[in-house]
Amino acid sequence: MAETYHDTDVLVMGGGGAGFRAAIEAAHSGVHVTLVSKGPLARSGASPMAGADFTLDGTSMNELGREGDVNDSKEKVFNDIVTQGWYLNNQKLVGQYVDTAKSQLADLMEWGIDITLSDQRAIFTSGTGIMDVLLKKARAVGVELLEDVSILELMKTDGRIAGALGLDVRTGEFIRFRAGAVVIASGGWHKAFWPNTGMRDLSGDGIAAAFRAGADIGNMEFITFCCNVFYAPPIWRGSLAPYILSLVCGGRMSDRNGDDLLSGFDPVLQQKGVLTEWNKSFLSYVSTLAAREGRALENGGIHYSRGDVDWGFMQMVGGVIFPNWKYKAIDFSTWAEKLEKNEPVEVGPAVEYFDGGIVVGDRFETTVPGLYAAGEAALGAFGANRVFSAVTEMLVQGRDAGRFSAEFAKAKKAPEPKRDAFREAEERACAPLSCTGGENPPAVRRNIQEAAHRRLGPIRSEGELTAFIGMLEDVQKNVLSNLSVSYTGRTYNKEWFDALELRNIVELLLVSAKSARLRTESRGVHFREDFPHTDNDAWLCETIVSRGEDAIAFSSRPVTVPHMTPPRGKTPYLEMMKTLMEAHSDTGGKH
Amino acid sequence: MVQKNITVTVLRTDPEKSDAGTKQRYTVPFTEGMSAMDVLDYIYQHLDSSVAYYDHAGCGLGICARCTGRINGKAGLFCQTPVDGGGELVLEPTGKDRVQRDLVMKKK
Repeated sequence: MAETYHDTDVLVMGGGGAGFRAAIEAAHSGVHVTLVSKGPLARSGASPMAGADFTLDGTSMNELGREGDVNDSKEKVFNDIVTQGWYLNNQKLVGQYVDTAKSQLADLMEWGIDITLSDQRAIFTSGTGIMDVLLKKARAVGVELLEDVSILELMKTDGRIAGALGLDVRTGEFIRFRAGAVVIASGGWHKAFWPNTGMRDLSGDGIAAAFRAGADIGNMEFITFCCNVFYAPPIWRGSLAPYILSLVCGGRMSDRNGDDLLSGFDPVLQQKGVLTEWNKSFLSYVSTLAAREGRALENGGIHYSRGDVDWGFMQMVGGVIFPNWKYKAIDFSTWAEKLEKNEPVEVGPAVEYFDGGIVVGDRFETTVPGLYAAGEAALGAFGANRVFSAVTEMLVQGRDAGRFSAEFAKAKKAPEPKRDAFREAEERACAPLSCTGGENPPAVRRNIQEAAHRRLGPIRSEGELTAFIGMLEDVQKNVLSNLSVSYTGRTYNKEWFDALELRNIVELLLVSAKSARLRTESRGVHFREDFPHTDNDAWLCETIVSRGEDAIAFSSRPVTVPHMTPPRGKTPYLEMMKTLMEAHSDTGGKH
Repeated sequence: MVQKNITVTVLRTDPEKSDAGTKQRYTVPFTEGMSAMDVLDYIYQHLDSSVAYYDHAGCGLGICARCTGRINGKAGLFCQTPVDGGGELVLEPTGKDRVQRDLVMKKK
């Protein structure tokens, strides 16, 4: 096959908010920018699926002409992000978030963002609305946009980023990128789990490729599950609609016996753990606990119904969030009938956000020169638990990563990538096309996804993690090199992509499970049944994973705390959660 | 309870074999509340993983619109079109001219 080269100054991997924002900023700096999206432009990844709230302090909102609590401040937001993150946040990145959110919102407003409404410290818009604005702006500033192209591998020369190998998913042809700098903005790895919250593309390709290229990653054990996600019917599986409704209205959560899931829990947990975004960690924990006690429904979930919430109120709220009980092309009218009659639907926790990721410094640079990371793919801002807005995160981080990557590309002439390295990566990628009689990629994938949901869910234990690690190591050793496809052509070959993505999924799950086994405490979205205390004496550190020549090395890094001093001592998990909930500032809102 | 099945016909096209389109039939167990996409996922995962539909990226929840096709002759999103148990289901690409492979259309 002919060797096609594609030259650019800054290559952005990822077509969501962080990628687009990085690309726009880099293009502003006067360099040539190519953004590569694995799926449809501005309609893939997690960003367009977001509700979406852009969150910042109320005073800054007020100064921009929106309502917002004028008693709110950057300091209060900082306090809330750090306490919500169980003090595991990189406080430098929290500072960057808090300090730059206002100018970021000003940019969005200047570019024509449509704001639905706002509360004390958040503006509400839509993920598709944000993406449309960013797409328009990226086109206006001359960003080169490629869609349905997957990045398989990063290329280095003399220790520096020199390019990347891409695959045109539709034609099956390779694209060899030469680039002076690369920004990883490819989000999380939801596809490693089943069920998940939609997004069929997110397989952690960026984090895995960066890790293979030598970048450190960290806190991979912290995985946020969204609560009250539809488990059934299949057509709605993965939709967050019941989560949004329950966050605003409350409602009843019950088990297979009809017993209330929340009775017996502390009133503060019941209140903050349902009606604020603490619900993700608290209700996911509670739902998983019920499932582990054999109280789950047919698909492993729980029941959600209106309970004693007034139907008129719920109907009014529903009318604002899902006009006519429709959300985009989804028709929820039969669900509305059930809500009115107080009949339940099956919901449960599903993987939603990855708190860990690629280790970055103050300029969003990774440990590999020329390689940058931003948004969900990067480690740091949210610590052990994300309550604040990931929409704000993707934009503030994307902008800085774009600026600094462009500076790097301008200052240093790009090294020539090695032809042999491209050829070897291409040969490796093509292996499943010529392997015969091997294992079937979709079957292997599904098996791993279901195991990941069970073993790396909100509640973990040493025995289960060890069993899961054993399974993954067996797959890595014996199965990945023996995957074969039934259609051997290259045109839109789904089985082939599954095989290529599986390598990333297995690698990240392994790192995550091993990190989770190492962390012998409970904190944020990581609860260890066998270590049910938050241990602030031993575990106020990030789990860092480095790739050596021969093996993967795990180490820990003390948490970055320039401003707020973390607590000391060992505290039972739910008691610690309650303390952190109560440490929230006096500002209202869901965050 | 008697297991209901769906008899599915998928119009297949392989451009690498200058294939004009062949009808392939599958039998898929029905689950209440299934979409046409759930049917395709079942075929892909259990019966025939060579079938192509836009699935490597996209949302599955009616937002990205890349899974547009014909369901029993009518254009719609595979992911948000409910299917009936016990019946016949015909899944085709939206047109004949721009087929990339099977149910995947080329970019406009």
